[in-house]
Amino acid sequence: MEKETRRKKIVVPGELVTEERKRIGSHVFVDEGKVYADSLGISYPDSSTASVVPLHGKYIPGRNDLIVGIISNETFNSYIVDINSIYHSFISKDSVRHELKRGSIISAIIQNVDEINEADLEDIRVFFGGEVIEVSPVKVPRIIGKNGSMLNVLKDNTGCNLIVGRNGWVWAKDGNLGLLVKAIRLIERESHLSDLTNKVEAFLKDEKGETKK
Amino acid sequence: MKKKDKVDYVKNGKRLDGRKVDELRPIKIEAGVLQRADGSAYLEWGQNKVLVAVYGPREALPKHIQNPYRALVNYNYRMATFSVPDRKSPKPGRREIEISKVSGEALERAIFLERFPNTTIDVFVEILDSNAGTRVAALSAASVALADAGIPMRDLVSAVGVGKAGGEVILDLNKAEEDAPDAVDMPIAMLPRTKEIVLLQMDGLFTKKEWQKSMKLAEKGCEQVYEAQREALRKKFLEAEKEDKKSKKAGDQ
Repeated sequence: MEKETRRKKIVVPGELVTEERKRIGSHVFVDEGKVYADSLGISYPDSSTASVVPLHGKYIPGRNDLIVGIISNETFNSYIVDINSIYHSFISKDSVRHELKRGSIISAIIQNVDEINEADLEDIRVFFGGEVIEVSPVKVPRIIGKNGSMLNVLKDNTGCNLIVGRNGWVWAKDGNLGLLVKAIRLIERESHLSDLTNKVEAFLKDEKGETKK
Repeated sequence: MKKKDKVDYVKNGKRLDGRKVDELRPIKIEAGVLQRADGSAYLEWGQNKVLVAVYGPREALPKHIQNPYRALVNYNYRMATFSVPDRKSPKPGRREIEISKVSGEALERAIFLERFPNTTIDVFVEILDSNAGTRVAALSAASVALADAGIPMRDLVSAVGVGKAGGEVILDLNKAEEDAPDAVDMPIAMLPRTKEIVLLQMDGLFTKKEWQKSMKLAEKGCEQVYEAQREALRKKFLEAEKEDKKSKKAGDQ
């Protein structure tokens, strides 16, 4: 659980993160020995790495990311998959046993990313039914939580089957989907605040109690 | 013009609209106003009203315009037909095309383009109301919208107009001052951290001294614009934090 006492600082692009020598994390750049933020977000001055947690951003594929994709087109021997990034990906028809259509939902792991951010997919799983909920890709770590703590809270309290794609698409089936969407919106809105897991748990229990009444 | 009806553009240190020589018109910026855009901003700068939407980075089409080494910036400056006293033709004119080009190039300097090969970043600027200095207002708003879209940047771009009216170097000219017989109008855009100039245009004549003075004024003006931009972006966080505190208090009771 995060401590309330952890100091944080809101930074805008070009704002100084630190002048000290630190490990370089994400969303920062170095100019003349000082570290600056490259996007709007939060930096933690006491942390040993200089990094910024951005408020917004597009998904850029990374190796070994688990993503949720939607089939957007079909060719003679492949499917074209929308992965909510700049480019679409391809999967060969040989790699899936089922026949897919436009709109079919799959999950995959990114095997490789090339220099123009096009991704190769592997370990494809096909989902039948369920819904895809869109969230901002930069908020995905908060939906999963530390060691999956938030994910467990969501699963336990809504009874949904969940796959959270690193690309900001969440596949969900069964259970109380309406409540799940509400909880995810809460996480999105307050993702930069601490002690979120407990808050979400309280929120879910509260909502469930009300519906029972 | 007769000597009698000569206008005093600066009288007792005050200008026509009561501002000091180095005073900006009031600026109000709001980030994230459009839901469907990746990033957006609304800015009011005196009478100027600007709405900016940012989309991307997204695949650049048609394919032959793609650059495999970096992203393209497609900056679209347009004035609404009702933004000027007489109706303006909605057709993009020479002036709008030029402003789109130079402003886009100014933003290119600030964005980490090399991280997004083969893509385009579309910036759509609509001027809803104008009273001199719309290109600097648009550029300042556009950089807020880019930050709101989460596009990595070296710095925000802060822009301001400086110039001369009635023989005095002044900051942030309005329409009346811009129409002075000896007027000089010089829009400047800077990266506030490094003081790097990314846009500079000039209409009229400056002496060397006036030039030096106006550059100092512009730097000062840009810093104020930067503060306004920063506040607008920070506000997004602070509002959510306030809500959180409120709900916590309500929970205690």
